[in-house]
Amino acid sequence: MSTEFINMIMPMLEGAKVTILLFLIAIVSSIPLGFILTLGVKSNNKIVSWLAQTYIYLMRGTPLLLQLLFICFGLPLLPVVGEYLVLDRFVAACLGFILNYAAYFAEIFRGGLLAIDKGQYEASHVLGLNKWQTTTRIILPQMFRIALPAISNESVTLVKDTALLYAVAVPELLHFAQTAVNRDFTVVPFFFAGMIYLAITLVLTMFFKWLERRFKFV
Amino acid sequence: MAIIEVSNLKKSFGELEVLKQITFDVNKNDVVAVVGPSGSGKSTMLRSLVYLEEINDGSISVAGHKLVESGIYSKPKEINLITSKMGMVFQHFNLFPHLTVQENLEIAPKLLKKEPFSVIQRRSTELLEKVGLSDRAKAYPSQLSGGQKQRVAIARALMMDPEILLFDEPTSALDPELTGEVLQVMKNLAEEHMTMIVVTHEMEFAKEVANRAIFMDNGEIIETGHPSVLFTNPQFDRTKAFLNRTLR
Ligand SMILES: Nc1ncnc2c1ncn2[C@@H]1O[C@H](COP(=O)(O)OP(=O)(O)OP(=O)(O)O)[C@@H](O)[C@H]1O
Ligand SMILES: [Mg+2]
Repeated sequence: MSTEFINMIMPMLEGAKVTILLFLIAIVSSIPLGFILTLGVKSNNKIVSWLAQTYIYLMRGTPLLLQLLFICFGLPLLPVVGEYLVLDRFVAACLGFILNYAAYFAEIFRGGLLAIDKGQYEASHVLGLNKWQTTTRIILPQMFRIALPAISNESVTLVKDTALLYAVAVPELLHFAQTAVNRDFTVVPFFFAGMIYLAITLVLTMFFKWLERRFKFV
Repeated sequence: MAIIEVSNLKKSFGELEVLKQITFDVNKNDVVAVVGPSGSGKSTMLRSLVYLEEINDGSISVAGHKLVESGIYSKPKEINLITSKMGMVFQHFNLFPHLTVQENLEIAPKLLKKEPFSVIQRRSTELLEKVGLSDRAKAYPSQLSGGQKQRVAIARALMMDPEILLFDEPTSALDPELTGEVLQVMKNLAEEHMTMIVVTHEMEFAKEVANRAIFMDNGEIIETGHPSVLFTNPQFDRTKAFLNRTLR
């Protein structure tokens, strides 16, 4: 391999690491947070339910890019508290992704809950299971299974959305590809970047397909 | 001796009065068939007994314990104790689709009964044999026929050792050729003197197995009696009209 090629590919692989790291942090945090939001929406407490719904509405109703820019560049400009809100760019970006994706996952889980027949709750009740046992043993496993294809879909979107880091100047895969294109006057880095994204989404898709087969009961 | 006593039960959904003044007793070892036209409140009555519906007024007691008296429900602990004496089998089976047949049977006793798992396993094996499904223990509900599903549901209810079994149209969702296997299991239970209340359209089954029939119409019990008498010699026009329609 030519040194030129290595000089091009190495930074991109470094960038891919950032991309993957962001993806992993975002997904493992936003899924549980999303689930907590779903519980919030379903809560009997009107205020909790309203807060959760409003949160989801705001997060889904505004561009992720706007939210990222707000956290990275907007928060520090707030009066009084602003100076304490200057976050590391990567941390800020992670936060943005987690907060945004949690709202999407919350909607996915809510859909999963709606798909569960009320007979499941009734059968649990007559067998004597309490609310907690019913939720954890009967409802959640079915909800996750029903939601799996949608979760898979959302995860692939998340991989591609990591490219938004470009806009807040966190050096990731796309950033290094763009740098290489400008430096070497060649389009090749874009192709490599595309291939790396494809490789990540392929692994991810295969993982979810495996999960779907593993938990196939319907 | 009465194991279930229901008196002056009233239940409305909003403006709609679904149960008007229901009073009846069920004796231990009775097999009671509940018949009546669609919408007459049979399901609602049955569901009230296991607290799937909250009644507005009246009393229900089971094995001497009060579930609700004059519209006032007992404490949750007492309610749990009472409902645990009853098992219920639904029209649409309501098996847990993410669990195997065996797991469907074992989940409730595993979570609720203080007994070693080996005892639970032995019982699930026995009950699956009893309903003729030993070879399907590892199958998921989606892999079973309707008749098999309903037999699993019956075995699952029996796992909790109920004193009373409630059936809400257990064969109505089945293809006609599959009802026999389910009715046979129920017949066997009756022969073992299980106390049962069965909402059903299966008049033949009711005649053959039940020792008491209750005819409901429009939220009321119109008449009750031994099936051989009630079905052949009804006292009330509403009963006659219903029987003419169903027996042809
Ligand atoms: N959850 C509910 N909310 C409102 N109305 C209801 C509800 N459940 C039942 N009803 C109404 O109560 C009445 C009695 O219903 P129920 O299901 O007890 O009748 P049923 O005798 O079991 O009829 P079927 O033979 O069709 O099963 C019907 O008019 C029904 O529409
Ligand atoms: Mg009914």
